[in-house]
Amino acid sequence: MKIKKKTIYIITSLIIVLSLVLSACSQQKNQASKNKETSIRIGTKDFTENLIVGELYALALEDAGYQVERVPNITGSVIHSSIVNQDIDMYPEYTGTGLLAILKLDLLTDPDEVYATVKEEYKKKFNLTWLEYSKANDGAGLVIRAEASEKLGIKTITDLQKHATELRFASQGEVDQRADGIPALEKVYGKLNWKSSKVYDNSLKYEVLKNNEADVAPAYTTEGQLVNKDQYILLEDDKQVWPPYNLAPVIRDEVLSAHPDIAEVINKISSALDTDTITALNAKVDVEQEEYEDVAKAFYESIQ
Amino acid sequence: MQESLWMQLVNYFSDHGRAFFALGREHIQVSLLALLCSAWIGITLGYLTITYKRSEKWIVSLIQILRIVPSLAVLLLLIPLMGTGTKPALIALILLGVPPILMNTITGLNHIPLSVLESAQGAGMSDRQMMWKIKFPLAAPLILTGIKTAAIEIIASATLAAKIGAGGFGEIIFTGLGLNRMDLLLIGGGAVAILAIFIGVLLDISERILFRYQFLQR
Repeated sequence: MKIKKKTIYIITSLIIVLSLVLSACSQQKNQASKNKETSIRIGTKDFTENLIVGELYALALEDAGYQVERVPNITGSVIHSSIVNQDIDMYPEYTGTGLLAILKLDLLTDPDEVYATVKEEYKKKFNLTWLEYSKANDGAGLVIRAEASEKLGIKTITDLQKHATELRFASQGEVDQRADGIPALEKVYGKLNWKSSKVYDNSLKYEVLKNNEADVAPAYTTEGQLVNKDQYILLEDDKQVWPPYNLAPVIRDEVLSAHPDIAEVINKISSALDTDTITALNAKVDVEQEEYEDVAKAFYESIQ
Repeated sequence: MQESLWMQLVNYFSDHGRAFFALGREHIQVSLLALLCSAWIGITLGYLTITYKRSEKWIVSLIQILRIVPSLAVLLLLIPLMGTGTKPALIALILLGVPPILMNTITGLNHIPLSVLESAQGAGMSDRQMMWKIKFPLAAPLILTGIKTAAIEIIASATLAAKIGAGGFGEIIFTGLGLNRMDLLLIGGGAVAILAIFIGVLLDISERILFRYQFLQR
């Protein structure tokens, strides 16, 4: 009996302490939502490049005198709904993603046209504004081992198609089936009859190419490893099949009309970014293992 | 929905039928080779642990520890050493297959009735003769059960081999996951399941033929 009383006592006191802690937490949350009016919440998707660019936006806004709240690592598939639900105020998006994944429109290949389309549709449908887009394009691509490229003289996908029978392809499964993957290429360039095609985990493709176990692999055009130009060469999509994925900030109209000078501050960042620059920044994080905050900071200071 | 899924399945086989069977061949090749190797290693190790009693503790615990490491981790850990492709996949699958075979071999050899051993010794058999003529044949059904467990585990896990370019039905499954395509997941998963069941039944039948006495009416 005595023991039982003791346990009850302990449990009750635990509950009291817990509820105190919880209420303290929620109070803090209330505080945060009070500050909302004055601070800009910058969301980012959960991969290196987006994290770096989000951090650049944050640094620029802080320099311009804004309070910034960072909301990093939002899964790609939910970030759009979180800006629509006003959980964040802006985030770096890709024009191609907006066009194909969010608006589900037909494939376009001209960067300006894609940008104009998403800008107009986002304004109408979601009250979101696309600020100016940067030249940095994180689209689909094919990477080839430098040795093979030299030996067979392959610089473009047209060249690749001619030599496909001599090349081993390291697929990751999806690209062979996706409408905007290899099938889209084959429609324009002609059939790609690989010498062999094997599936590898996406994270292994550079290892596989380095070990000479395959010659060609699908890639994204700004992957950090691509800075090793004497090892990996990104093939030119010479007939422009793949849609452009230009980086651009998406911001809520409300926030932008309250603080119109944000546009100028952020556009300055966008104009400093192009594919090579962003690839180099990605490489610092993914290849040299630096922290993305440090990389963003160093780059921000260099463009000041 | 049902019908369209059915149509998707039919379309898949008409478009990719050849690829499907090529993947099946790879899956079976890797699995069978791994199974043979792990049976050989498992039975040999089992024999050694029984012959050299002192080694039993550490061999068994070592194997049990190896069993805990997930196959996917083993696969990726092996890549810096062996590159990608079939070789690391084989090693990972062998590591997966050895423990059940080894454990069953040890149990089988350890649990032969003393009276049987006594009469064998009485008949003047040497240790060696006892091992081959009495112990192994009597332990064989249990060893075969171990092989069956290993076979099913290996076939199921060979799916992961697709992560490192060793082919197999895993390619279909991972593509299906990436694209969120029900038809591919069903085809890949179903093929692996059917293969595992098929091998299981095959081993069951061979058990009935090899050890017919077990199925005598008592």
